[in-house]
Amino acid sequence: MKRFVFPRWANKTVPLVGVVLGAAPVYLICLIWYGASPKTTDVGFEPKQPVPYSHALHAGELGIDCRYCHNTVEKAAMAAIPPTQTCMNCHARVRTKSAKLEPIRTSFQTGSAVEWKKVHDLPDYVYFNHSAHVTRGVGCVTCHGRIDQMAEVYQFAPLSMGWCLDCHRAPYKNLRPPEEVTNMAWTQPNGEDPVAYGKKLAEKNNLHPSTDCSTCHR
Amino acid sequence: MSPVSKKSDKPTYWRSIAELEGRPEFEQFLEHEFAEPVSDLPPTSDERRRFMQIMGASFAFAGLTTGCRWEQDYILPQTRRPEGLIPGEPRYYTTSMDMGGYATGLLAKSYDGRPVKIEGNPNHPDSLGAANVFHQASVLELYDPDRSKGFGTYSGGKRTDSSKDEFIKAIKPLMAAHRSSQGKGFRILAESTSSRTVADMKRRLLAALPEAKWYEYEPVSADNIRLGSELAFGAAYRPNYAFDKAAIVVSLDSDFLGSERAAIRNAQSFMQGRMPEKGEMSRLYIIESAYSMTGGVADHRLPLRSEFVKAVAAALDAGISGKGSPSAEMGPAQARPAAAFLEDPKVQKFVAAIEKELLANKGKSIVIAGEQQPPEVHALVHRINAVLGNVGSTITYYPDFTADRLPHKDAIIQLGKEMASGAVDTLVIIGGNPVYNAPADVGFDAALAKVKNTIRVGLHEDETTMKSGWQVPLAHYLETWGDTRGYDGTIGIQQPLIAPLYGGPSVIELIALLLDDSTKEGLDLVKRTLAASMGDDRLWRKAVHDGVLLGSGLAPVQPVLKPLGAIALSDREKAGVAVGNGQLELTLAPCPKVHDGRYANNGWLQELPDPVLKLTWGNAALIGPATAKELGVDDQTLVKLTMNGATITIPAIIAPGQAPGSVRVVLGYGRTAVGVVGIGSRLDYGLIEDYAAEYGAGDLELVGVNAYPLKTTEFGRFGGGLNVQPTGDTMKLAMTQMTHAIKDKIGRDEVQRRVPELVREGTFEEFKEKPAFAQEKVEHKALLSLWQEPVSYDKHKWGLSIDLNKCTGCNACVVACVSENNIPVVGRSRVIQGREMQWIRIDVYFRGEPDEPELAYQPLTCHQCEHAPCEQVCPVGATMHSREGLNDMVYNRCIGTRYCSNNCPYKVRRFNYFNFHEELKLEKNQTKKMMFNPDVTVRFRGVMEKCTFCIQRIQNVKIKAKNTRRAIQDGEIVTACQQTCPTGAIVFGDLNDEKSRVRALQNGPRSYAMLEELNVRPRLKYLARVKNPNPELS
Repeated sequence: MKRFVFPRWANKTVPLVGVVLGAAPVYLICLIWYGASPKTTDVGFEPKQPVPYSHALHAGELGIDCRYCHNTVEKAAMAAIPPTQTCMNCHARVRTKSAKLEPIRTSFQTGSAVEWKKVHDLPDYVYFNHSAHVTRGVGCVTCHGRIDQMAEVYQFAPLSMGWCLDCHRAPYKNLRPPEEVTNMAWTQPNGEDPVAYGKKLAEKNNLHPSTDCSTCHR
Repeated sequence: MSPVSKKSDKPTYWRSIAELEGRPEFEQFLEHEFAEPVSDLPPTSDERRRFMQIMGASFAFAGLTTGCRWEQDYILPQTRRPEGLIPGEPRYYTTSMDMGGYATGLLAKSYDGRPVKIEGNPNHPDSLGAANVFHQASVLELYDPDRSKGFGTYSGGKRTDSSKDEFIKAIKPLMAAHRSSQGKGFRILAESTSSRTVADMKRRLLAALPEAKWYEYEPVSADNIRLGSELAFGAAYRPNYAFDKAAIVVSLDSDFLGSERAAIRNAQSFMQGRMPEKGEMSRLYIIESAYSMTGGVADHRLPLRSEFVKAVAAALDAGISGKGSPSAEMGPAQARPAAAFLEDPKVQKFVAAIEKELLANKGKSIVIAGEQQPPEVHALVHRINAVLGNVGSTITYYPDFTADRLPHKDAIIQLGKEMASGAVDTLVIIGGNPVYNAPADVGFDAALAKVKNTIRVGLHEDETTMKSGWQVPLAHYLETWGDTRGYDGTIGIQQPLIAPLYGGPSVIELIALLLDDSTKEGLDLVKRTLAASMGDDRLWRKAVHDGVLLGSGLAPVQPVLKPLGAIALSDREKAGVAVGNGQLELTLAPCPKVHDGRYANNGWLQELPDPVLKLTWGNAALIGPATAKELGVDDQTLVKLTMNGATITIPAIIAPGQAPGSVRVVLGYGRTAVGVVGIGSRLDYGLIEDYAAEYGAGDLELVGVNAYPLKTTEFGRFGGGLNVQPTGDTMKLAMTQMTHAIKDKIGRDEVQRRVPELVREGTFEEFKEKPAFAQEKVEHKALLSLWQEPVSYDKHKWGLSIDLNKCTGCNACVVACVSENNIPVVGRSRVIQGREMQWIRIDVYFRGEPDEPELAYQPLTCHQCEHAPCEQVCPVGATMHSREGLNDMVYNRCIGTRYCSNNCPYKVRRFNYFNFHEELKLEKNQTKKMMFNPDVTVRFRGVMEKCTFCIQRIQNVKIKAKNTRRAIQDGEIVTACQQTCPTGAIVFGDLNDEKSRVRALQNGPRSYAMLEELNVRPRLKYLARVKNPNPELS
């Protein structure tokens, strides 16, 4: 039986192997550092919903307040996806024949739910409470981005623990008067410095966000 | 009190794990634990999620930006959301639960239509906001995957699936035939119930079928109280006790704080009279055969065989009526019985002391007899109370509204005879489980074979189902409309929290079905019955809202005592204390965990340590130390108990405080058909299929031993003539009492030295002299801190206070915690290894002579130390100090080193050695997922956990309060254990709030911290126990 011998030209690849082995740790570190970051994995997640509901149209163009549909946001942990009834409040009269609205009408007639895909999905050991943020003056736009310009909702922020903590440690630039939370285009009045303005608001509203573990993990 | 409280140095209940080694089942288990390659397990959702993230990351890096993500979750909103309903927010609905013909009003907490936790209804007089272990565990019963699912027929123990339509088709001609024969041969055997609607349906049924009969049977019954009342007054009344107004309470074998009816309201009123700060304390004497919860809180306890209580009652009557002033109508007093045991100096002294105290406290005392005692004892007790002038002041009587039924014993005897004679054509068995728990000499099993048609209606497919024809799945009380009545007759409303999971009817709907009633729905049936009480729909709505029809309790009556003839005493009842083998007394009692066996498939209850001996997963024969020595019985040896011609083999426990010559066995175990939990003791919870595949189903051991074969119609609950024969074998029992025992002598000696510092007790006299007696038990150097205070606790400072004086060891807090915090059940073998998971442990300390020890309870949970030893050793920061002083447990960081548990001086941390939720993967267990509290993380394998002071409740209240910019009120945050404690022994609150109750309690003189010399600064403090002994007896 003939032994296998590497051909002579194979020797030329040895430096290449060296380069690859040398670069591999760098590659791996970069891969994990950037690749496994929620900024890479989660931001921009944009599932296709069963109904092509456009926030850009409803919240943006028509100017419907966020709380018309997400009406539990100031009272409860969940901002509650609206029941089909809420859609039908208008669509019983508006665009009653639209094919895109067929799932809504079916749901309303049969009583079976519309299966919306969850976009902002936190791990099960994290307890986020909408009311705790909205009533203290953290705007919708801070975490959800310009929803009023999204035809299909995508994830705007990484929603990672580091990202949460950044704000819990220094919330000032994200604070606004609680009555302005749903105003997507709000800016600090008179071009005031966001941090200085936020510090005043924090003082006024007695805001001391906690970084205790049990604030979010229970 | 004696200077050294020491643990009774009986042979330890269970010594060490090392002792287990060399035992085949233990080795097998070890092998199973480690030899099973972990990688064989399919990835869990967390692992899969991580994997997908990493894969996603590498794809993303390669330029593929979308497509890889963890499992897609969906949001399914309701199509029409009811007004006021907020998804994800809990709502509370009132309901009430009937158990053995006596109901308690409850509040069920429901998330998005799923009831997840049961609490007490403050409006209901039998709850007052508290709930016992059975009430709270009933939510697990609702979701029990082993419940009867759908109609079926049984033949030879084999099930054939059927449907409701087929059932209706089958019963139509049957009922028509019975109608034409006036119901001859038609019988119903039902569980006892307090429902007026059931009573109404019964009336309708008997009107349609005049020859039919309706029997009620409960194996554990309080009928003797009723019969005793009939003997004393000529009518059935229920005594109601105001323990808070009594100075002297004498319990004759009565566990009125534990297993008897109205225990919650009794415990509450009793503890009102036991607060030393008020300047007055009642004194409790108890004579009982086995240690009960009531015995645990008694000031003086005399262990005496149950059969002797009759002579004691007669002696008390002789003494009291002689020196008291009975009116002429009451008749003459009993002659002082010539009983040999009464001459025993100890007994004599005890009875004389009781007599003297009762006479000195006329109108301010209570004598109460146990429900298992014969009617004569109850009649005597009624008489004694009347002579003492207690009636009207500390005791009131309500009419017994169930007086028209046959006593349970007579009912089952009569039915048994009818069945055996072939007179019964159709038997409908509603609830209960007579094949398992009917008296042995009724021969129910054999007689049932002679009944042509048996229709079994039950929650589970049990022993009775196996011998029946039709099986109808009964709806759970949380699934149905109904009504109940409390101890005093208060009407409670049962409202459904969820639609019937398996489509079964409720009892009233079933009767309507049998009768072909025009009203079929439970709601309409209840409304029809209660129309007279609340014709107005507004009243009905209010009753549903309140859970009770307020003011519907019966008015107290003034019963008139009839003369009582001389009470005859048998030779046994007059005998001496000493008794030989073969003549021992056997007492049978309901289990404080599975009652008469009905909760055998409930993992929470099976794993609950029993209040005194801390036995889980099974029962045992309790034998007193001296008696055990005479019999040659050691701890955990198997013994044969022979009585009434039947023999059972059961492990023995040497039980401190068990009366000499008396053996106690609890009922409700050894079930052969109920579900995986109830029949597979050797198995690890939820993994029965794996085990059965490995070892064969025939190898399964039952949980505990069935003691019903010893129970005959004549025997009742106790009697003499028991023979105990050790078999020479032993059996390991799963007891949690010694889980943290220290093996070597130095350790044991140190424990002995420390116990009186851990559980601090004093007498009322000591307290009056020096209220802060408890704070001086430990001398230590000044407690200086090694480091600068890391946290200032300037906002909230949470603290907990537990009053040892009010704790009855009833375990309600333990089940509340299990239910609130999604704590897993681990199974018998892991309890033996000391791996139980309950966050609250109630330690029991015995003190004094092993045969007559005193007992102290001490509930332990995380102390939330300010200088927490656990925090200092965690290498990954998984347990962190919060600004409010809690030791936060971060499950997602925990890597399972268990250093924290090692370093915890209180041993309150629990480790998930396995994924205890593995069973949820099985298709049949899907209903169990609905039971979890969504506000608490469900922990995975390899994670440490412990009491959080119900952090989810704290956070939710904090968020809600700040949403509206208001301060948190004291008492607004209530931990689960505090919420359900019947006596209010647990108080939670903010130590920074100057007006908070917890601050006042912790600054009070009785307050002390456990192991404060370690300078860990616990946030949990105890209030020392104060007993009120009679100086003449000590």
